Amino acid sequence: MQAKAAVNQKSGNILNNAFASHFAKSMFLSVTALAILSFIGTRMFTHVDLNLYGYMVGTIVFIGGFFYRFIAWGERPPTKLILKKGLKLLFRKSTPKTSVEHLATYNFIWNRGIYRWTQHVLIGWGCILSCFVTFPLVFGWMYFTMDDNGYYNIIAMGMKVMTVPADGIIANLSYNALNITAVMVIAGVCMALYRRLKNMQARAEQKFLYDFMPLYMLLLVSITGLALTFMNIFLHGAGQPAMSLIHQWSVIITLIYLPFGKLAHIPFRPMSILARNYREHYAEQGMKECKVCGDQFVSAEQSKDVVDVLCVNDIEFKAKEGHHLAEMCLPCRRKYRIAQFSGFPTHEVKVKEANQNAKG
Amino acid sequence: MKKRLYLELENCIGCRSCLAACTQCGGHEERNRNYVYDVNPLVNRQTMPLMCLHCENPACARSCPAQAIQIHETGAVLSALVEKCIGCQNCTIACPYGIPKFDQEQNLMYKCDLCIDRTKDGIPPMCASVCPSNTLQWLTDEEIENKKKQFNLDNGKWVTSMPYLEGETNVKVNLPGILQGITKLF
Repeated sequence: MQAKAAVNQKSGNILNNAFASHFAKSMFLSVTALAILSFIGTRMFTHVDLNLYGYMVGTIVFIGGFFYRFIAWGERPPTKLILKKGLKLLFRKSTPKTSVEHLATYNFIWNRGIYRWTQHVLIGWGCILSCFVTFPLVFGWMYFTMDDNGYYNIIAMGMKVMTVPADGIIANLSYNALNITAVMVIAGVCMALYRRLKNMQARAEQKFLYDFMPLYMLLLVSITGLALTFMNIFLHGAGQPAMSLIHQWSVIITLIYLPFGKLAHIPFRPMSILARNYREHYAEQGMKECKVCGDQFVSAEQSKDVVDVLCVNDIEFKAKEGHHLAEMCLPCRRKYRIAQFSGFPTHEVKVKEANQNAKG
Repeated sequence: MKKRLYLELENCIGCRSCLAACTQCGGHEERNRNYVYDVNPLVNRQTMPLMCLHCENPACARSCPAQAIQIHETGAVLSALVEKCIGCQNCTIACPYGIPKFDQEQNLMYKCDLCIDRTKDGIPPMCASVCPSNTLQWLTDEEIENKKKQFNLDNGKWVTSMPYLEGETNVKVNLPGILQGITKLF
Protein backbone atom coordinates (compact mmCIF):
# COMPACT_ATOMS: atom_id res chain seq x y z
CA MET A 1 0.00 0.00 0.00
CA GLN A 2 2.71 2.38 1.02
CA ALA A 3 4.79 1.40 -2.00
CA LYS A 4 1.84 2.15 -4.22
CA ALA A 5 1.38 5.55 -2.64
CA ALA A 6 5.05 6.24 -3.16
CA VAL A 7 4.75 5.28 -6.82
CA ASN A 8 1.72 7.51 -7.15
CA GLN A 9 3.61 10.38 -5.67
CA LYS A 10 6.53 9.73 -7.98
CA SER A 11 4.33 9.63 -11.07
CA GLY A 12 2.73 12.85 -9.84
CA ASN A 13 6.18 14.41 -9.69
CA ILE A 14 6.99 13.20 -13.17
CA LEU A 15 3.77 14.73 -14.46
CA ASN A 16 4.68 18.01 -12.81
CA ASN A 17 8.15 17.90 -14.31
CA ALA A 18 6.65 17.82 -17.78
CA PHE A 19 5.34 21.36 -17.36
CA ALA A 20 7.13 24.66 -17.03
CA SER A 21 4.70 25.93 -14.40
CA HIS A 22 1.55 25.28 -12.46
CA PHE A 23 -0.23 27.53 -14.91
CA ALA A 24 1.01 25.62 -17.95
CA LYS A 25 -0.07 22.33 -16.42
CA SER A 26 -3.55 23.51 -15.48
CA MET A 27 -4.02 25.13 -18.86
CA PHE A 28 -2.84 22.05 -20.74
CA LEU A 29 -5.00 19.68 -18.70
CA SER A 30 -8.17 21.75 -18.99
CA VAL A 31 -7.86 22.46 -22.70
CA THR A 32 -7.13 18.77 -23.27
CA ALA A 33 -10.12 17.79 -21.16
CA LEU A 34 -12.34 20.20 -23.10
CA ALA A 35 -11.06 18.82 -26.41
CA ILE A 36 -11.63 15.20 -25.33
CA LEU A 37 -15.10 15.96 -24.00
CA SER A 38 -15.98 17.78 -27.21
CA PHE A 39 -14.56 14.93 -29.27
CA ILE A 40 -16.86 12.49 -27.46
CA GLY A 41 -19.82 14.86 -27.23
CA THR A 42 -19.82 15.85 -30.87
CA ARG A 43 -19.38 12.26 -32.09
CA MET A 44 -15.83 12.84 -33.30
CA PHE A 45 -16.38 16.48 -34.21
CA THR A 46 -19.21 15.73 -36.62
CA HIS A 47 -21.74 17.94 -34.82
CA VAL A 48 -19.84 21.11 -33.99
CA ASP A 49 -22.00 24.25 -34.04
CA LEU A 50 -19.58 26.57 -35.81
CA ASN A 51 -21.89 29.52 -35.17
CA LEU A 52 -20.57 29.38 -31.61
CA TYR A 53 -16.83 29.13 -32.25
CA GLY A 54 -16.31 32.69 -30.96
CA TYR A 55 -17.62 31.59 -27.58
CA MET A 56 -15.24 28.64 -27.68
CA VAL A 57 -12.21 30.88 -28.18
CA GLY A 58 -13.57 33.26 -25.53
CA THR A 59 -13.93 30.41 -23.06
CA ILE A 60 -10.35 29.30 -23.59
CA VAL A 61 -9.07 32.85 -23.04
CA PHE A 62 -11.28 32.98 -19.95
CA ILE A 63 -9.71 29.76 -18.63
CA GLY A 64 -6.28 31.33 -19.11
CA GLY A 65 -7.27 34.38 -17.05
CA PHE A 66 -8.98 32.19 -14.50
CA PHE A 67 -5.88 30.08 -13.84
CA TYR A 68 -3.62 33.12 -13.85
CA ARG A 69 -5.74 34.81 -11.21
CA PHE A 70 -6.50 31.82 -9.04
CA ILE A 71 -3.08 30.20 -9.04
CA ALA A 72 -1.57 33.50 -7.95
CA TRP A 73 -4.25 33.80 -5.30
CA GLY A 74 -3.80 30.21 -4.12
CA GLU A 75 -0.12 30.89 -3.49
CA ARG A 76 -0.89 33.32 -0.67
CA PRO A 77 -0.03 31.56 2.60
CA PRO A 78 -3.48 31.75 4.27
CA THR A 79 -5.26 30.75 1.06
CA LYS A 80 -2.94 27.83 0.47
CA LEU A 81 -3.49 26.62 4.00
CA ILE A 82 -7.29 26.65 3.85
CA LEU A 83 -7.27 25.10 0.38
CA LYS A 84 -4.94 22.30 1.45
CA LYS A 85 -6.64 21.46 4.72
CA GLY A 86 -10.13 22.14 3.41
CA LEU A 87 -9.73 19.80 0.44
CA LYS A 88 -8.65 17.00 2.77
CA LEU A 89 -11.85 17.51 4.75
CA LEU A 90 -14.05 17.71 1.68
CA PHE A 91 -15.88 14.48 2.46
CA ARG A 92 -17.37 15.43 5.78
CA LYS A 93 -20.95 14.46 6.51
CA SER A 94 -22.01 18.09 6.62
CA THR A 95 -20.51 18.99 3.22
CA PRO A 96 -23.67 18.46 1.11
CA LYS A 97 -25.75 20.56 3.48
CA THR A 98 -23.16 23.33 3.69
CA SER A 99 -22.72 23.30 -0.10
CA VAL A 100 -26.43 23.68 -0.73
CA GLU A 101 -26.73 26.46 1.83
CA HIS A 102 -23.71 28.36 0.52
CA LEU A 103 -23.91 27.75 -3.22
CA ALA A 104 -27.57 27.07 -4.04
CA THR A 105 -29.93 28.63 -1.52
CA TYR A 106 -27.63 31.39 -0.23
CA ASN A 107 -28.99 31.24 3.34
CA PHE A 108 -26.35 33.66 4.58
CA ILE A 109 -27.55 36.29 2.10
CA TRP A 110 -31.13 35.74 3.30
CA ASN A 111 -29.83 36.78 6.71
CA ARG A 112 -28.38 39.93 5.18
CA GLY A 113 -31.78 40.89 3.82
CA ILE A 114 -34.60 39.34 1.81
CA TYR A 115 -34.35 41.94 -0.94
CA ARG A 116 -30.67 41.21 -1.44
CA TRP A 117 -31.37 37.49 -1.34
CA THR A 118 -34.02 37.79 -4.04
CA GLN A 119 -31.78 39.78 -6.36
CA HIS A 120 -28.91 37.40 -5.74
CA VAL A 121 -30.99 34.31 -6.45
CA LEU A 122 -32.29 35.85 -9.67
CA ILE A 123 -28.85 36.91 -10.90
CA GLY A 124 -27.00 33.87 -9.54
CA TRP A 125 -29.35 31.20 -10.78
CA GLY A 126 -29.98 33.08 -14.00
CA CYS A 127 -26.24 32.99 -14.72
CA ILE A 128 -25.73 29.40 -13.54
CA LEU A 129 -28.60 28.06 -15.63
CA SER A 130 -27.40 30.06 -18.65
CA CYS A 131 -23.96 28.49 -18.27
CA PHE A 132 -25.54 25.03 -18.06
CA VAL A 133 -27.22 25.69 -21.40
CA THR A 134 -24.51 27.68 -23.17
CA PHE A 135 -21.34 25.71 -22.51
CA PRO A 136 -22.74 22.29 -23.50
CA LEU A 137 -23.98 23.87 -26.74
CA VAL A 138 -20.66 25.63 -27.41
CA PHE A 139 -18.57 22.51 -26.87
CA GLY A 140 -21.09 20.19 -28.49
CA TRP A 141 -21.83 18.25 -25.31
CA MET A 142 -25.49 18.72 -26.10
CA TYR A 143 -27.20 19.16 -29.44
CA PHE A 144 -30.47 18.39 -31.16
CA THR A 145 -31.24 16.25 -34.20
CA MET A 146 -34.48 15.42 -35.96
CA ASP A 147 -35.22 11.90 -37.24
CA ASP A 148 -38.99 11.96 -37.51
CA ASN A 149 -40.64 15.13 -38.61
CA GLY A 150 -41.90 17.04 -35.60
CA TYR A 151 -39.75 15.22 -33.05
CA TYR A 152 -36.43 16.42 -31.69
CA ASN A 153 -33.78 14.08 -30.29
CA ILE A 154 -31.84 15.59 -27.41
CA ILE A 155 -28.28 14.29 -27.67
CA ALA A 156 -26.07 14.64 -24.58
CA MET A 157 -22.41 13.56 -24.70
CA GLY A 158 -23.13 11.80 -27.99
CA MET A 159 -25.96 9.70 -26.57
CA LYS A 160 -29.62 10.11 -27.40
CA VAL A 161 -31.23 11.02 -24.09
CA MET A 162 -34.81 11.54 -25.17
CA THR A 163 -37.07 12.28 -28.09
CA VAL A 164 -39.54 15.08 -27.57
CA PRO A 165 -42.31 16.59 -29.70
CA ALA A 166 -41.04 19.79 -31.31
CA ASP A 167 -43.95 21.79 -29.92
CA GLY A 168 -44.01 20.08 -26.52
CA ILE A 169 -43.23 21.52 -23.12
CA ILE A 170 -39.67 20.22 -22.83
CA ALA A 171 -38.79 21.39 -26.32
CA ASN A 172 -40.24 24.83 -25.67
CA LEU A 173 -38.39 25.07 -22.37
CA SER A 174 -35.16 24.19 -24.19
CA TYR A 175 -35.66 26.81 -26.90
CA ASN A 176 -36.55 29.44 -24.33
CA ALA A 177 -34.15 28.46 -21.56
CA LEU A 178 -31.85 31.40 -22.26
CA ASN A 179 -34.81 33.77 -22.62
CA ILE A 180 -36.08 32.73 -19.21
CA THR A 181 -32.68 33.10 -17.58
CA ALA A 182 -32.21 36.46 -19.34
CA VAL A 183 -35.44 37.71 -17.79
CA MET A 184 -34.27 36.42 -14.40
CA VAL A 185 -30.93 38.20 -14.74
CA ILE A 186 -32.53 41.44 -15.97
CA ALA A 187 -34.97 41.43 -13.05
CA GLY A 188 -32.16 40.70 -10.58
CA VAL A 189 -29.83 43.32 -12.04
CA CYS A 190 -32.59 45.92 -11.98
CA MET A 191 -33.21 45.14 -8.30
CA ALA A 192 -29.48 45.42 -7.64
CA LEU A 193 -29.22 48.71 -9.52
CA TYR A 194 -32.22 50.09 -7.67
CA ARG A 195 -30.61 49.13 -4.36
CA ARG A 196 -27.33 50.73 -5.39
CA LEU A 197 -29.13 53.95 -6.31
CA LYS A 198 -31.43 54.17 -3.29
CA ASN A 199 -29.74 52.40 -0.39
CA MET A 200 -27.60 54.86 1.55
CA GLN A 201 -25.42 52.10 2.93
CA ALA A 202 -24.66 50.73 -0.52
CA ARG A 203 -24.10 54.23 -1.84
CA ALA A 204 -21.56 54.91 0.84
CA GLU A 205 -19.15 52.28 -0.40
CA GLN A 206 -19.82 51.52 -4.05
CA LYS A 207 -17.48 52.32 -6.90
CA PHE A 208 -18.52 52.56 -10.51
CA LEU A 209 -16.01 50.17 -12.00
CA TYR A 210 -16.17 47.58 -9.24
CA ASP A 211 -19.87 47.55 -8.36
CA PHE A 212 -21.77 48.93 -11.33
CA MET A 213 -19.85 47.74 -14.37
CA PRO A 214 -20.42 44.00 -13.75
CA LEU A 215 -24.15 44.73 -13.42
CA TYR A 216 -24.19 46.70 -16.67
CA MET A 217 -22.28 43.91 -18.40
CA LEU A 218 -24.79 41.31 -17.25
CA LEU A 219 -27.55 43.63 -18.37
CA LEU A 220 -25.93 44.05 -21.79
CA VAL A 221 -25.55 40.29 -22.21
CA SER A 222 -29.17 39.64 -21.24
CA ILE A 223 -30.69 42.43 -23.27
CA THR A 224 -28.76 41.64 -26.45
CA GLY A 225 -29.69 37.98 -25.95
CA LEU A 226 -33.36 38.82 -25.63
CA ALA A 227 -33.05 41.16 -28.61
CA LEU A 228 -31.95 38.18 -30.70
CA THR A 229 -35.15 36.36 -29.81
CA PHE A 230 -37.17 39.50 -30.47
CA MET A 231 -35.60 39.93 -33.91
CA ASN A 232 -36.22 36.32 -34.80
CA ILE A 233 -39.86 36.32 -33.79
CA PHE A 234 -41.08 39.80 -34.66
CA LEU A 235 -38.66 41.12 -37.30
CA HIS A 236 -38.21 37.89 -39.26
CA GLY A 237 -34.54 37.90 -38.43
CA ALA A 238 -33.79 41.46 -39.53
CA GLY A 239 -30.63 42.72 -37.82
CA GLN A 240 -30.04 39.33 -36.31
CA PRO A 241 -26.51 38.80 -37.69
CA ALA A 242 -25.28 42.12 -36.30
CA MET A 243 -27.02 41.60 -32.98
CA SER A 244 -25.59 38.11 -32.62
CA LEU A 245 -22.10 39.58 -32.99
CA ILE A 246 -22.85 42.25 -30.38
CA HIS A 247 -24.20 39.56 -28.06
CA GLN A 248 -21.17 37.37 -28.66
CA TRP A 249 -18.84 40.27 -27.98
CA SER A 250 -20.62 41.14 -24.70
CA VAL A 251 -20.54 37.55 -23.48
CA ILE A 252 -16.85 37.08 -24.32
CA ILE A 253 -15.85 40.37 -22.67
CA THR A 254 -17.83 39.45 -19.55
CA LEU A 255 -16.25 35.99 -19.46
CA ILE A 256 -12.72 37.32 -19.83
CA TYR A 257 -13.34 39.98 -17.19
CA LEU A 258 -14.97 37.54 -14.76
CA PRO A 259 -11.88 36.36 -12.81
CA PHE A 260 -10.62 39.91 -12.26
CA GLY A 261 -13.49 41.92 -10.87
CA LYS A 262 -16.43 41.56 -8.55
CA LEU A 263 -17.69 38.53 -10.45
CA ALA A 264 -14.59 36.63 -9.27
CA HIS A 265 -16.56 35.81 -6.14
CA ILE A 266 -18.47 33.19 -8.18
CA PRO A 267 -15.50 30.82 -8.58
CA PHE A 268 -14.21 31.94 -5.14
CA ARG A 269 -17.30 30.98 -3.23
CA PRO A 270 -16.75 27.20 -2.87
CA MET A 271 -13.85 28.20 -0.58
CA SER A 272 -16.43 29.06 2.07
CA ILE A 273 -17.38 25.39 2.26
CA LEU A 274 -13.74 24.46 2.78
CA ALA A 275 -13.49 27.12 5.46
CA ARG A 276 -16.62 25.88 7.21
CA ASN A 277 -15.40 22.27 7.14
CA TYR A 278 -12.01 23.39 8.41
CA ARG A 279 -13.58 25.19 11.34
CA GLU A 280 -16.04 22.43 12.20
CA HIS A 281 -13.52 19.60 11.92
CA TYR A 282 -10.79 21.18 14.01
CA ALA A 283 -13.30 22.47 16.56
CA GLU A 284 -14.19 18.81 17.18
CA GLN A 285 -10.50 17.93 17.43
CA GLY A 286 -9.84 20.33 20.26
CA MET A 287 -10.48 23.89 21.24
CA LYS A 288 -7.99 26.53 22.22
CA GLU A 289 -8.42 27.91 25.70
CA CYS A 290 -7.85 31.60 26.26
CA LYS A 291 -4.58 32.11 28.13
CA VAL A 292 -6.26 34.62 30.42
CA CYS A 293 -9.87 33.59 31.07
CA GLY A 294 -9.83 29.97 29.86
CA ASP A 295 -12.76 30.37 27.49
CA GLN A 296 -12.71 28.12 24.45
CA PHE A 297 -12.86 30.54 21.54
CA VAL A 298 -11.36 28.86 18.46
CA SER A 299 -9.96 25.51 17.41
CA ALA A 300 -6.39 24.88 18.52
CA GLU A 301 -5.45 24.11 14.93
CA GLN A 302 -6.73 27.42 13.55
CA SER A 303 -5.04 29.38 16.30
CA LYS A 304 -1.75 27.69 15.42
CA ASP A 305 -2.30 28.15 11.70
CA VAL A 306 -2.95 31.87 12.03
CA VAL A 307 0.19 32.28 14.13
CA ASP A 308 2.16 30.43 11.43
CA VAL A 309 0.64 32.47 8.61
CA LEU A 310 1.51 35.69 10.40
CA CYS A 311 5.03 34.36 10.93
CA VAL A 312 5.40 33.87 7.17
CA ASN A 313 4.43 37.54 6.84
CA ASP A 314 7.08 38.53 9.39
CA ILE A 315 4.44 39.45 11.93
CA GLU A 316 4.76 38.09 15.40
CA PHE A 317 2.65 39.29 18.28
CA LYS A 318 4.27 38.04 21.44
CA ALA A 319 2.80 39.17 24.73
CA LYS A 320 5.13 40.04 27.58
CA GLU A 321 3.73 37.00 29.39
CA GLY A 322 5.29 34.77 26.73
CA HIS A 323 2.24 33.62 24.82
CA HIS A 324 1.07 34.80 21.44
CA LEU A 325 -1.71 37.38 21.28
CA ALA A 326 -3.74 35.00 19.09
CA GLU A 327 -3.94 32.69 22.12
CA MET A 328 -6.20 35.10 23.97
CA CYS A 329 -9.93 35.33 23.37
CA LEU A 330 -11.18 38.52 21.77
CA PRO A 331 -12.52 40.35 24.84
CA CYS A 332 -9.35 39.47 26.76
CA ARG A 333 -7.20 40.67 23.88
CA ARG A 334 -9.01 44.00 23.86
CA LYS A 335 -8.72 44.37 27.63
CA TYR A 336 -5.07 43.36 27.37
CA ARG A 337 -4.53 46.34 25.06
CA ILE A 338 -6.28 48.67 27.50
CA ALA A 339 -3.96 47.24 30.12
CA GLN A 340 -0.93 48.13 27.99
CA PHE A 341 -2.17 51.71 27.74
CA SER A 342 -3.05 52.24 31.39
CA GLY A 343 -0.57 50.01 33.14
CA PHE A 344 -3.40 48.42 35.10
CA PRO A 345 -4.09 44.72 34.24
CA THR A 346 -7.69 45.18 33.12
CA HIS A 347 -7.76 41.70 31.55
CA GLU A 348 -7.18 40.07 34.91
CA VAL A 349 -10.26 41.62 36.50
CA LYS A 350 -12.96 38.97 36.30
CA VAL A 351 -15.71 41.26 35.06
CA LYS A 352 -17.55 40.70 31.82
CA GLU A 353 -17.27 43.52 29.30
CA ALA A 354 -20.35 45.71 29.61
CA ASN A 355 -22.34 47.99 27.30
CA GLN A 356 -20.46 47.22 24.12
CA ASN A 357 -23.43 47.16 21.78
CA ALA A 358 -25.24 50.36 20.95
CA LYS A 359 -28.74 50.09 19.52
CA GLY A 360 -28.78 51.77 16.15
CA MET B 1 -4.95 67.68 3.64
CA LYS B 2 -4.56 64.26 5.17
CA LYS B 3 -6.10 63.97 8.58
CA ARG B 4 -5.83 61.20 11.08
CA LEU B 5 -7.92 59.83 13.89
CA TYR B 6 -6.13 60.72 17.09
CA LEU B 7 -7.07 59.33 20.51
CA GLU B 8 -6.42 61.01 23.83
CA LEU B 9 -7.42 58.06 25.93
CA GLU B 10 -7.56 59.68 29.34
CA ASN B 11 -10.25 62.15 28.27
CA CYS B 12 -12.81 59.39 27.90
CA ILE B 13 -15.85 59.78 30.14
CA GLY B 14 -17.51 56.53 29.08
CA CYS B 15 -20.58 58.10 27.49
CA ARG B 16 -20.45 55.66 24.57
CA SER B 17 -21.48 58.32 22.08
CA CYS B 18 -18.88 56.86 19.73
CA LEU B 19 -20.62 53.48 19.82
CA ALA B 20 -23.99 55.05 19.07
CA ALA B 21 -22.54 57.21 16.30
CA CYS B 22 -20.81 54.20 14.77
CA THR B 23 -24.14 52.44 14.27
CA GLN B 24 -25.33 55.37 12.15
CA CYS B 25 -22.51 55.33 9.61
CA GLY B 26 -23.36 54.36 6.04
CA GLY B 27 -22.61 50.68 5.51
CA HIS B 28 -22.49 49.83 9.21
CA GLU B 29 -26.05 48.48 9.18
CA GLU B 30 -26.80 49.86 12.62
CA ARG B 31 -24.19 47.85 14.45
CA ASN B 32 -21.27 49.50 16.19
CA ARG B 33 -17.75 48.38 15.46
CA ASN B 34 -15.85 50.01 18.30
CA TYR B 35 -15.51 49.41 22.03
CA VAL B 36 -15.35 51.29 25.30
CA TYR B 37 -13.73 49.58 28.27
CA ASP B 38 -13.66 50.21 31.99
CA VAL B 39 -10.03 50.29 32.98
CA ASN B 40 -10.58 49.09 36.54
CA PRO B 41 -14.29 48.32 36.63
CA LEU B 42 -14.63 47.41 40.31
CA VAL B 43 -12.71 50.40 41.59
CA ASN B 44 -13.21 53.55 39.53
CA ARG B 45 -15.03 54.96 36.51
CA GLN B 46 -12.09 55.56 34.18
CA THR B 47 -12.90 54.29 30.69
CA MET B 48 -11.00 54.10 27.43
CA PRO B 49 -12.24 53.64 23.88
CA LEU B 50 -10.74 50.99 21.66
CA MET B 51 -11.19 50.85 17.94
CA CYS B 52 -9.38 49.60 14.90
CA LEU B 53 -6.04 51.41 14.81
CA HIS B 54 -5.61 50.78 11.06
CA CYS B 55 -2.19 49.16 11.15
CA GLU B 56 0.24 49.99 8.39
CA ASN B 57 0.88 46.26 8.04
CA PRO B 58 -2.51 44.85 9.04
CA ALA B 59 -2.45 41.30 10.37
CA CYS B 60 -6.13 40.82 9.55
CA ALA B 61 -5.57 41.44 5.85
CA ARG B 62 -2.39 39.34 5.83
CA SER B 63 -4.26 36.39 7.33
CA CYS B 64 -7.33 36.65 5.08
CA PRO B 65 -7.44 33.76 2.61
CA ALA B 66 -9.98 35.49 0.38
CA GLN B 67 -8.31 38.91 0.09
CA ALA B 68 -11.57 40.29 1.44
CA ILE B 69 -9.91 42.93 3.63
CA GLN B 70 -8.68 45.73 1.41
CA ILE B 71 -6.52 48.67 2.34
CA HIS B 72 -7.81 52.03 1.13
CA GLU B 73 -5.46 54.57 -0.41
CA THR B 74 -5.96 56.73 2.68
CA GLY B 75 -4.49 53.91 4.76
CA ALA B 76 -7.79 52.78 6.23
CA VAL B 77 -8.09 49.02 6.58
CA LEU B 78 -11.55 48.35 5.24
CA SER B 79 -14.21 45.96 6.49
CA ALA B 80 -14.48 42.64 4.65
CA LEU B 81 -15.93 42.84 1.15
CA VAL B 82 -19.31 41.16 1.57
CA GLU B 83 -19.02 39.07 -1.58
CA LYS B 84 -15.52 37.84 -0.81
CA CYS B 85 -15.58 37.05 2.93
CA ILE B 86 -15.73 33.27 3.31
CA GLY B 87 -16.33 33.29 7.05
CA CYS B 88 -13.12 31.58 8.20
CA GLN B 89 -12.58 34.13 11.01
CA ASN B 90 -8.80 34.14 10.58
CA CYS B 91 -8.88 37.92 10.93
CA THR B 92 -10.47 37.78 14.37
CA ILE B 93 -7.67 35.50 15.53
CA ALA B 94 -4.92 37.49 13.83
CA CYS B 95 -5.84 40.99 15.02
CA PRO B 96 -3.57 41.88 17.94
CA TYR B 97 -6.27 44.14 19.38
CA GLY B 98 -9.26 41.81 18.95
CA ILE B 99 -11.22 44.29 16.84
CA PRO B 100 -13.00 42.41 14.01
CA LYS B 101 -16.51 41.23 14.80
CA PHE B 102 -18.11 38.24 13.19
CA ASP B 103 -21.75 37.63 12.31
CA GLN B 104 -22.45 33.89 12.32
CA GLU B 105 -25.85 34.25 10.63
CA GLN B 106 -24.55 36.33 7.76
CA ASN B 107 -21.26 34.41 7.65
CA LEU B 108 -19.54 37.76 7.46
CA MET B 109 -16.83 39.66 9.29
CA TYR B 110 -17.25 43.38 9.91
CA LYS B 111 -14.86 45.89 11.41
CA CYS B 112 -14.18 49.61 11.66
CA ASP B 113 -13.56 51.05 8.20
CA LEU B 114 -12.84 54.52 9.57
CA CYS B 115 -16.19 55.55 8.02
CA ILE B 116 -14.49 55.47 4.66
CA ASP B 117 -17.39 57.17 2.88
CA ARG B 118 -16.73 60.19 5.11
CA THR B 119 -12.98 60.13 5.69
CA LYS B 120 -12.11 59.68 2.02
CA ASP B 121 -13.55 63.18 1.57
CA GLY B 122 -11.85 64.55 4.66
CA ILE B 123 -14.97 64.44 6.84
CA PRO B 124 -14.23 63.09 10.33
CA PRO B 125 -15.43 59.58 11.14
CA MET B 126 -18.69 59.33 13.07
CA CYS B 127 -17.02 58.53 16.40
CA ALA B 128 -14.70 61.53 16.26
CA SER B 129 -17.46 63.89 15.14
CA VAL B 130 -19.62 63.15 18.18
CA CYS B 131 -17.05 62.66 20.94
CA PRO B 132 -17.97 65.27 23.59
CA SER B 133 -14.72 65.03 25.54
CA ASN B 134 -12.18 65.28 22.71
CA THR B 135 -11.02 61.75 23.30
CA LEU B 136 -11.44 61.08 19.61
CA GLN B 137 -10.15 63.81 17.34
CA TRP B 138 -9.64 64.23 13.63
CA LEU B 139 -6.40 66.09 13.09
CA THR B 140 -3.78 66.84 10.49
CA ASP B 141 -0.24 65.65 11.09
CA GLU B 142 0.69 69.28 11.74
CA GLU B 143 -1.93 69.62 14.46
CA ILE B 144 -0.73 66.41 16.04
CA GLU B 145 2.80 67.83 15.93
CA ASN B 146 1.58 71.01 17.68
CA LYS B 147 -0.08 68.92 20.37
CA LYS B 148 3.20 67.15 20.83
CA LYS B 149 4.84 70.52 21.62
CA GLN B 150 2.19 71.24 24.27
CA PHE B 151 2.91 68.05 26.10
CA ASN B 152 6.35 67.61 27.49
CA LEU B 153 6.69 63.94 28.25
CA ASP B 154 10.35 63.87 27.30
CA ASN B 155 10.45 60.17 26.61
CA GLY B 156 10.36 60.12 22.82
CA LYS B 157 7.20 58.04 23.03
CA TRP B 158 4.64 60.75 23.06
CA VAL B 159 2.36 59.15 20.54
CA THR B 160 2.20 55.48 21.32
CA SER B 161 3.71 52.87 19.15
CA MET B 162 5.94 50.16 20.52
CA PRO B 163 5.79 48.85 23.21
CA TYR B 164 2.20 49.96 23.78
CA LEU B 165 1.12 48.90 20.31
CA GLU B 166 2.30 46.04 18.15
CA GLY B 167 3.39 48.11 15.19
CA GLU B 168 2.98 51.39 13.34
CA THR B 169 -0.63 52.45 12.94
CA ASN B 170 -2.48 55.11 10.98
CA VAL B 171 -4.54 56.05 14.02
CA LYS B 172 -2.39 57.82 16.56
CA VAL B 173 -2.91 57.07 20.24
CA ASN B 174 -1.82 59.45 22.96
CA LEU B 175 -0.47 57.79 26.08
CA PRO B 176 -2.72 58.30 29.07
CA GLY B 177 -0.28 60.33 31.09
CA ILE B 178 -2.50 60.73 34.12
CA LEU B 179 -2.99 57.02 34.60
CA GLN B 180 0.70 56.45 34.17
CA GLY B 181 1.51 59.08 36.77
CA ILE B 182 3.23 61.33 34.23
CA THR B 183 2.39 65.01 34.50
CA LYS B 184 0.87 66.67 31.50
CA LEU B 185 2.15 70.22 31.06
CA PHE B 186 -0.42 72.43 29.37
